[in-house]
Amino acid sequence: MDKELIKSELTGDSCIHVKHKSGLDIYICEMPGFSSVEALFGTKYGSVNTMFRQKGDEKFTTVPEGIAHFLEHKLFENEDCDVFELYAKTGASGNAFTSFDKTAYLFSCSKNYQESLRILLDFVQKPYFTKETVDKEQGIIGQEIKMTNDNPEWRVFFNMLRCMYHSHPVKIDIAGTVESIAQIDADLLYKCYYTFYNLNNMVLSVAGNISADEVLAICDECLKDCDDKGLETVFPDEPDTIVRKEIYEKQPVGTSIFHIGYKCKACTGKEKLRKTMVASVVSSLLSDASSDMYQRLLKAGIINSSFGTEVFTGDGYFTVIFSGESDSPEKVRDAVADEVDRMIKEGICEKDFQRIKKSTYGMLVRELNNVEAVANLMMNSHMEGIGPYDAINVLSGITSADALEFMKNELGRERLVMSVIEGEGE
Amino acid sequence: MRYNRTELSGNIGFSSIIDEKFKTASLTVRFITELSGKEAAANALGIGVLSSSSAEYKTLAELNEKLSSLYGAALNTFARKRGDVQVLGMTASWITNRYAFDGEDVDSEMLGIIHGCIFEPNAENGVFDADSYMITQKDLLDRIDAELNNKRGYALSRAAEIAFRGEPAEFSCYGTKESASAVTSAEAYSAYRKLLETAQVEICYIAPEENNAVLEMFRESFGTVNRNSGKLTFRSVSPARAETVTESDKFDVLQCKMVMNFKTDSDDLFGVKMLSTIFGETPVSKLFMNVREKLSLCYYCACRFTYSKGSIMVDIGVERENIEKAKAEILRQLDEMKKGNFTDAEMESALLSLDNALTQIGDTPSSYSGWYFERFCDGAIVTPSEQYENYKKVTKERIIQAANSLSLDSVYLMLDKEEQA
Repeated sequence: MDKELIKSELTGDSCIHVKHKSGLDIYICEMPGFSSVEALFGTKYGSVNTMFRQKGDEKFTTVPEGIAHFLEHKLFENEDCDVFELYAKTGASGNAFTSFDKTAYLFSCSKNYQESLRILLDFVQKPYFTKETVDKEQGIIGQEIKMTNDNPEWRVFFNMLRCMYHSHPVKIDIAGTVESIAQIDADLLYKCYYTFYNLNNMVLSVAGNISADEVLAICDECLKDCDDKGLETVFPDEPDTIVRKEIYEKQPVGTSIFHIGYKCKACTGKEKLRKTMVASVVSSLLSDASSDMYQRLLKAGIINSSFGTEVFTGDGYFTVIFSGESDSPEKVRDAVADEVDRMIKEGICEKDFQRIKKSTYGMLVRELNNVEAVANLMMNSHMEGIGPYDAINVLSGITSADALEFMKNELGRERLVMSVIEGEGE
Repeated sequence: MRYNRTELSGNIGFSSIIDEKFKTASLTVRFITELSGKEAAANALGIGVLSSSSAEYKTLAELNEKLSSLYGAALNTFARKRGDVQVLGMTASWITNRYAFDGEDVDSEMLGIIHGCIFEPNAENGVFDADSYMITQKDLLDRIDAELNNKRGYALSRAAEIAFRGEPAEFSCYGTKESASAVTSAEAYSAYRKLLETAQVEICYIAPEENNAVLEMFRESFGTVNRNSGKLTFRSVSPARAETVTESDKFDVLQCKMVMNFKTDSDDLFGVKMLSTIFGETPVSKLFMNVREKLSLCYYCACRFTYSKGSIMVDIGVERENIEKAKAEILRQLDEMKKGNFTDAEMESALLSLDNALTQIGDTPSSYSGWYFERFCDGAIVTPSEQYENYKKVTKERIIQAANSLSLDSVYLMLDKEEQA
């Protein structure tokens, strides 16, 4: 088992990577001076992975929407007890989350991390589903779905994705619907578990007040060898075009909220990282609090300080989003599109470009100041096929010409959609 | 880590926490004053405008351009409620000089900006700059309106309003929409000057290296202010009603919310906190294991303890038809606590959970800042490990006493429109 030292020349930070004999990729970052430990055990399995097959399977299997999230809930219950009861004996705070393209089980603690790590590695490798436990979870997840559907920020985001994507499952809710989760049973959960919870498809990330050797010894003790089953996931063909330009929905809200997004071409690995960094700098150039557009809209009372941007990417999707509160979201959308046109025509101010790059660098350095953020960074980077410190290096290499090229190629008006949640009286 | 506290003249505390592991420096300045329905909005506006410009950086654009050039340094203002007091302030954080690849003195530049925003605001003849004020006022009005967007948060705010009616804690730290829209720039400026002169001030600086210039800047700058500040009371227990009050609102929502506010007159901070932890603060608590896991009634059902008001609030998102069932189970679980029906293992797990949370304090600058501010409000500066020793001394009898001191004061329901209460 070789330890690979990964180092950031720019900040001096480092971590180690080990490809464990079980097939699992392990990232460990010892952080002297910190008291806490954050551990994440993740699989590349999220809400978008609804069609898959393994080596030897002739046909692809299609599963109900929301099953990855359902599986995450159910894994917390083993044959003898609830996993939270085990963590209660170590003092760790356990949790889990399912996103579009990953599921992760985690704990944070400040003492007894060795025992908590054993609990984590053990329960994730030991599924236990029965009809009774599956039925019980329907009510709990049903309430979670209703809660998120009452959340206007959630609704406005998914409505935007539905405007963009014809077929890609990123447009479906992570938890599914009350109807789709009703189709889930124990057999389906086992099928998904044994497909995606193969250690060759997973990663362990541990950061904080730890010893790398201790972590690896616990991994040797707890990890079961796994054959790589040749997992293949597919997505329906997704055209470059959008579905519709805009969508409005009424909800009980105090202020109208909007998401304005460009549907960009998806890519993977280092190309995706580079494009993400360029898109991030471009969105700040267009609309950060010192930009002309931001100031114009703010002074006109069209936006407030909630206005912000995000680059949202994953397996088969890539979007640049502008979001906030406004009574006139159409004016914000037009202003964004006009600003893109103006910048393409007039060019990018080099001084502003360098300033935004510095600001982005500062944000990346801050991330390394935090145990939880470092553990997440190592897991996410691995799942995206890049190194934990690649972002800082890639950022230093991008130019204003790259930014201009991105705007020309990706930020056309024909790719722009808008989602609005407005108050019931409007 | 090195903690040092200096009392400056005029009721101003300066805490310095030096911890070499950090890559950033952070500074929080808190102005603490009585929460009043009349003045809350003016105070929030007076503080809020400070992060939009200063005498040196005349516009939000200029200020943000400068912050962005300092590697994306952050500078924000805030208004919060803590029991019956309003805590207003400014917080800033930046990467330290060691990580500035162009060799800038980020520390000094940020100190200058913070000084400018607080002591040389963008104001003339007793009014704030018109654009800066207009932006801040719109922001506050939108923030008040947007409270409804977060249904769980809105339900908790409404529950507090009902539970603490007639006390300062019933008010929002932002004031009402009516009061915030009526405040003029001159009134906001005057409110800010009053805070500068009369509020209790707590400053917290957290960095990897000592920087005496920070303390000296505040000593010198506050030395020019005519300070006349009194000590505030940070704890005023809210009396429980003889009869439980229930109030509700109807919205077009899919999930109803219920907030039950229990009150206690117990002074046993550690006993009541242990009770609250076992009752509903962890995923092995009575509420989580029974209301969620056993009865599948909800996704969340949890409680939070506010010592300053003697209140434990239980909140749950639940179907309309299950509200009474959930309420009965919550009360049944509390009854179990009152009868002492909880195990040594449950007490041990609560202790471990508290120990875990306490030991993690210091891993982020904000956790340090929050910890030492809360201890200042409690009246005794203790370390997290000293606090843990206090929890260890809590006996089962103290927890039972704490449970028996609770009474249900009020219930708030957010109902869907289809059903009638």
